[in-house]
Amino acid sequence: MSEYDSSRVPLDHNLQALTLGTDVRLQDLVDHDALRDMVRSFHALFGISMRIFSSDGLLLAESVTGQEVCHYVGTLENGLRTCMATVGKARTIEPAARTKEVTHPCFTGAQYRIFSIDYDNRKLGKAVLGPFLPAEVTSVPDALLTVDPKIDANRALELLPRMPRAKAEAITLICDHLRRTLDLILWSGHKSLLTSQMHLSSVRESYRELQQKNEKLQEAFDRLRELDRLKSNFLGVVSHELRTPLTSIIGYSEMLVEGIAGPLVGDQQKFVQTINDKGQQLLQLIMSLLDLSKLESGTMSMKKGTVAVGQLLSDVAATLAPKARKRSIEIACAAPPGLADVQGDPDRLRQVFVNLTDNAVKFSPDGSTVRLVAGLKALEESSDEEGFSLLEPSRRMIEVSVIDTGIGIPEEERERIFDAFYQVDSSSTREHEGTGLGLSIVKRLVDGHGGTVRVGANQPTGTIFSVVLPAASPAKQAGVPRRPV
Amino acid sequence: MQFDFAAKELIIKLVYYGPALSGKTTNLQSLHALSDAGARGRLMTLETRDDRTLFFDMLPLTFQAEKELSIRIKLFTVPGQVIHGSTRRLVLQGADGVAFIADSQLAETENNAAAFVDLRENLKANGLKIGQMPLVIQFNKRDLPNVRTDGELVELARRGKEPVFPAVALSGQGVLETFMGLLNRTYLGLNAQHNLKEKFGISDKALLDDVAKKLGAKVSVDQLLKAALGGTPGAPAASPGKP
Repeated sequence: MSEYDSSRVPLDHNLQALTLGTDVRLQDLVDHDALRDMVRSFHALFGISMRIFSSDGLLLAESVTGQEVCHYVGTLENGLRTCMATVGKARTIEPAARTKEVTHPCFTGAQYRIFSIDYDNRKLGKAVLGPFLPAEVTSVPDALLTVDPKIDANRALELLPRMPRAKAEAITLICDHLRRTLDLILWSGHKSLLTSQMHLSSVRESYRELQQKNEKLQEAFDRLRELDRLKSNFLGVVSHELRTPLTSIIGYSEMLVEGIAGPLVGDQQKFVQTINDKGQQLLQLIMSLLDLSKLESGTMSMKKGTVAVGQLLSDVAATLAPKARKRSIEIACAAPPGLADVQGDPDRLRQVFVNLTDNAVKFSPDGSTVRLVAGLKALEESSDEEGFSLLEPSRRMIEVSVIDTGIGIPEEERERIFDAFYQVDSSSTREHEGTGLGLSIVKRLVDGHGGTVRVGANQPTGTIFSVVLPAASPAKQAGVPRRPV
Repeated sequence: MQFDFAAKELIIKLVYYGPALSGKTTNLQSLHALSDAGARGRLMTLETRDDRTLFFDMLPLTFQAEKELSIRIKLFTVPGQVIHGSTRRLVLQGADGVAFIADSQLAETENNAAAFVDLRENLKANGLKIGQMPLVIQFNKRDLPNVRTDGELVELARRGKEPVFPAVALSGQGVLETFMGLLNRTYLGLNAQHNLKEKFGISDKALLDDVAKKLGAKVSVDQLLKAALGGTPGAPAASPGKP
């Protein structure tokens, strides 16, 4: 078995981490440019420098003004060293989540404020504000004056007040405000991140579900196809096995009827004839089943040849004449002289028209006429087909119609009559006998000849079956590929 | 459940499941309104249209237990509409407990049952068995006409396994009881499975008391749990196995 089990929802780690908040980073929740804009705007408003770091120490945004006093101190050897140490220390301060901001003093008297940036009670980073000069500082502190032996006290006194000033309480309020603003930004960021992740995950999950359904459908389809194949095999085998003993029944009953085993007396002749008739009928049915199974399994062999339609129709009429005569039905054939031959297997085409004509006779009223009319098929009036004007003249098709004046076929049934075993009247008390196989065999045989069979209504009553078959011609036939049966 | 030793935090995921419009989101909104500002996070609602949940709602609650341990409870709702099956399966992933929010109206009987079957199927798809999932049932909208009577609920609850809580989520009635019932069942299950009490020294009673207090409970946890009709007290037979 493969590792992937399509019936199980795979654990979506990204979604889990995002929803439970176990793997959320500051840089994932905020847009860098927007954060930079916010920091710049803060800097412009209060004049206080600001830096934002992620938990893993990444500087995400900053807006900084170099202070003149810092610059001056930086020119002094000891001053630079002490300044570097102060700034370095400020960077390492990590206030814990959910705690107040930390004040970090500078030797200049200035201060830094550092607060933790939290989301959902987790620390995601920190903001560093400063340096700024607390409003309380009114003189230059000793720490600054003693930082370096070379310091000029007057210069320090002149530069220090140029640093931005703020009251301690004001800075606390500013920090609170920033915290709230950041929380809102992070929440919105988390929400949109979660939404897009959810979109992705949902699509993936729907896809997995569809895949799973497809697999099941494919399995069902394969199983049905296999069953269909088994059914065709079964039909073939059974028909063949039935035919063998039936041949004996028919043969021996025929010999009895002919008196070979001695004369039959009284009702014996009639009874044995009935056995023979019913045996023939059963044989027909078995042959039809055999044909159908061969057609379905694609093992029906067809001879390639040419068939003269007029002759074919006369043969068909002659075959069915005895049956028709019993009910005073006339079978009239009409084929114009010089009509082109049809391409195909003579025996199979004969079977097609015998089936259709037999049906027509069966459903026609006594004393009526069944007509078999052949002709060159007229060109289509118009068509949506691409290249029609080139293709159509090259096609020569023969159309043969079998026309009766019987009960007709309701329009809604016309599509289904070519299905195997389908009967328009399927009740057990139906008037006309039959297996429902004739038309399905006709359709498959005609299809196999690259032709079509259609059914329409005769006026005022009755049915017209039209079979269109490709004409045999010395010229190349185009556009009518022969399909395998 | 997730336990992060470094961060000292325990994360419990609870899912509010149920048919469309049964009041899952309303339950979360009521809990949000009840809870202490320090404990609750913002109620996040993902993608709603016409007041219907498309993805889910999420309400994070954080409580500080003994020994610096923080307990994070993440409450989720699923979208109730039938078409959002894939979302429901995703939201159920890693759930530690489920509150099934049913609609008490008689006309919703079939929908309640169908949503429960859906829950069972979706848990199964995630490799979870409903019998091993801590579960409570809430019959919501008790104030509406044409609902199943109290007597019927008592009788149904008596015959069933899960505790049943009557509620009017819109006014907050029964919401805290349902939540505490679910947390109690879930926590007892997790405790039995992971031995939280011994390993991390978390007292279940102290934790539940603290949670109830932060959620504005006026009575003791025991009294809240007694609001349940029927159901066997304590944890289900086993704890949910993780997929």
